[in-house]
Amino acid sequence: MQPPILELNHITKTFPGVTALDDVHFDIRPGEVHALLGENGAGKSTLIKVASGVYEPDSGEIIVEGQPVRFGSPRDAQAHGIATIYQELLLYPELSVAENIFMGHAPRTRLGAIDWATMRSRSLEILASLNIDDMDVTRKVGSLTVGNRQRVEIAKALSMNARVLIMDEPTAAITESDVERLFSIIELLKQRGVGIVYISHRLNEVFDIGDRVTVLRDGRYIATEPVDQMTEDKLVSMMVGRTIDNLFPKLDAPIGKVVLEVRNLTRKRVAHDVSFQLREGEIVGMAGLVGSGRSEIAQVIFGFTPAHAGSILIDGREVRITTPGQAMRYGIAYLPEDRGTQGLIRQMDLRANTSITVLRALSRATFINRHKETQLAYSTIEQLSIRAYGPQQLVGKLSGGNQQKVVVGKWLATRPRVLIVDEPTRGIDVGAKAEIHRLMSELAQQGMAILMISSEMPEILGMSDRILVMREGRLVAEFSRAEATQENIGLAMMGDIGNNGKSVNSQLDGVEWQA
Amino acid sequence: MTAHETSQTRIAPAWTQQLRALLRSQESVLLFITVIAVLILSTQTDKFLTVRNLLNQGRLMTEIGLIALPMTYIIVTGGIDLSVGSIAGLSAIMLGYGWYNLGLPLELAIVLALVIGAIAGFANGLFIILFRVPPLIMTLATLAFYRGLAEGIAQARSVRDYPEWFYALGQRETLGIPNQLYFLVIAAIITAIILSRTTFGRSLYAIGNNELAARFSGIPVRRNKLIIYTLSGFMSGFAGYVLVSRVSTTRSDMGSGWELDAIAAVVLGGTSIFGGSGSIVGTMIGLVLIQLLKNGLALTGVTGDATIVVIGSVLILSTLINSVIQRRVEGL
Ligand SMILES: Nc1ncnc2c1ncn2[C@@H]1O[C@H](COP(=O)(O)OP(=O)(O)OP(=O)(O)O)[C@@H](O)[C@H]1O
Ligand SMILES: [Mg+2]
Repeated sequence: MQPPILELNHITKTFPGVTALDDVHFDIRPGEVHALLGENGAGKSTLIKVASGVYEPDSGEIIVEGQPVRFGSPRDAQAHGIATIYQELLLYPELSVAENIFMGHAPRTRLGAIDWATMRSRSLEILASLNIDDMDVTRKVGSLTVGNRQRVEIAKALSMNARVLIMDEPTAAITESDVERLFSIIELLKQRGVGIVYISHRLNEVFDIGDRVTVLRDGRYIATEPVDQMTEDKLVSMMVGRTIDNLFPKLDAPIGKVVLEVRNLTRKRVAHDVSFQLREGEIVGMAGLVGSGRSEIAQVIFGFTPAHAGSILIDGREVRITTPGQAMRYGIAYLPEDRGTQGLIRQMDLRANTSITVLRALSRATFINRHKETQLAYSTIEQLSIRAYGPQQLVGKLSGGNQQKVVVGKWLATRPRVLIVDEPTRGIDVGAKAEIHRLMSELAQQGMAILMISSEMPEILGMSDRILVMREGRLVAEFSRAEATQENIGLAMMGDIGNNGKSVNSQLDGVEWQA
Repeated sequence: MTAHETSQTRIAPAWTQQLRALLRSQESVLLFITVIAVLILSTQTDKFLTVRNLLNQGRLMTEIGLIALPMTYIIVTGGIDLSVGSIAGLSAIMLGYGWYNLGLPLELAIVLALVIGAIAGFANGLFIILFRVPPLIMTLATLAFYRGLAEGIAQARSVRDYPEWFYALGQRETLGIPNQLYFLVIAAIITAIILSRTTFGRSLYAIGNNELAARFSGIPVRRNKLIIYTLSGFMSGFAGYVLVSRVSTTRSDMGSGWELDAIAAVVLGGTSIFGGSGSIVGTMIGLVLIQLLKNGLALTGVTGDATIVVIGSVLILSTLINSVIQRRVEGL
């Protein structure tokens, strides 16, 4: 067996009030995929930030190819061949693909100016070496889909001759076809001897591509095992310290009258002629590719981007919704898809984030009742088992999954009649996911109408009473719970490929252009 | 469950934490600098630390102060208002013009001046929210536009000889304290309470930190922006009125350069120019510090140019201290 490229021994890292890592071991060998697992807040992101030079550990040693090293900054780690793709992608949206790939180490001409031609051709080379030949390197990164942005990140890592590539939840926000592509790139990198650290909450992925797996719990090291000697149940019990049902069975709820109805809802270029109904007690899943107009239709209903045509009816009466505030007064809540930019105010504390949607209810004559606000924060922390040191913790300093729980909490606090959730369990660990599914099921039982946009097929199939499928801004199919299968939903999402002569890829490109 | 427990077991009691946070805040750092500055200046000249002088300084800083209060709101949301000085000038001119040229009763001319200020601010806000003009560009344009308007109306004439009662606000005292200072103190208390205690104040911080998320949370972002720019215009108009009452005359160049003084007070007071954090208390301390430095240095015989250098240095110093503290707090 080959010696490790990178070793982390006895790593301890504390933040004010939290021990994020406590005597943790980790190592990575050339050409292997080493999965890193643990619940939300277990310390995974912190560990890889130690490995990539973002944080210096309080104690412990970092060894690269047998030599002890100290990383004072991410640049040091990069110089040692360690590249990282963080949970929140860090590209510059206003710069081109090539500029992003060579950010900080652009090729120079002899006069010291940036050598644009070389930069472009080298970018194309690197992308081609990853079997990516459909990307325009002069395009702004901000106009790419998340899947493509991720490929740019990988290319960037390779442009620095990375020998270790760390990926923190790379599949949380990309489509299934992007996941397949990512896996084939990972396979390619393995063959080249790159060691890959892979963090994910989707255990099936670990079994698909992982060679070894390390589990953390509460900042402590539990074990490192070869993946082929593991089972899903075993892994879960290592992560949570007990066995749990990681799938929550949907509860049956009495389906009542129609609460929300949309008729021929249209917003230019993103949604056309969308009509459907939502009943009390019903959970309606909405499937579709990224960019198929699912979030867009939700944002039209929520008044964020008002409709150009069509109507919205609440309890059978037509209403005009032009701002989110109005939608909320009609009892509609929308949990947006991107927690970092849309869902949370990262610089504010947990308390202010959970109360922001219900400030009026928590205040008298516009004076905020601090006591009630704190109570709400505590009950949210308890209800969703958020790992935080208290209501005063800045949300930006919570782990990714715990941030997502805060978004869920702030919208549940509004006690809506119609709850629209957009990728509600993105980045949430298996146990907490089952917990959120149970919560949604209970809320439906109490009469809430829920529209659930999700790209995770098991979530859609497991939770929905009815499933709507969107493609290119249109509602193209509807299935009852009994009819729905992975195959027929998948087909409806892709469309009839043979007939109109379009490949899935060109459809995706069209979608990307809209986004 | 665990989260609740950890908050009690791993963290020091809440009050010591709060005390530490208080000591490390920009406001306390600034207060400390102010006290030092007062001590040093008072050893240099005995004309400085007298009740008479200090009250007079209070009188002089009122106009900038009235503007710096809504400016704090605007900067907290990540915006800026450069047109405040021009609005003050325009309002001052309209006061004199309305009374002298249009023959309005003086009371009505005062109201006119305030309304014009509010309208000028409202126009700023309207363009900013409707056409998404960046506040810097919009108010830079109206900085020139409103000043031009004032000059066009005034035609280089000044209006003076107001009735005696008109000077009460700017030149008289009640219980030994300059009259305009009451207005500043009351306005400061009200704006401070609104910013720190109400849903409106909270929404300003939310907008400044992440406007998109604020909109997605149902906060009426555009309405609230309109309100603060209108308030800024109104307060600028009021400051213009206070100035006319203090100096007894109306001229079209009144208030020029005020925007920089107001912004300096706000930023010195710890409000982040990028939005998202800041306080009225900080702004008031910043205001006082700048005024005391100006006055103290002038009394010790330092020339005007050197005074500006000193104020600039204090600004840089306090920002430095603040960022060092910030980094310590973030544990990096
Ligand atoms: N900068 C920071 N300041 C304070 N606490 C932090 C900071 N970064 C992380 N933490 C805390 O350290 C713990 C571990 O966080 P980390 O982000 O490593 O979790 P994670 O395993 O990546 O979880 P997730 O699956 O939710 O992404 C959490 O309790 C978190 O709140
Ligand atoms: Mg993480």
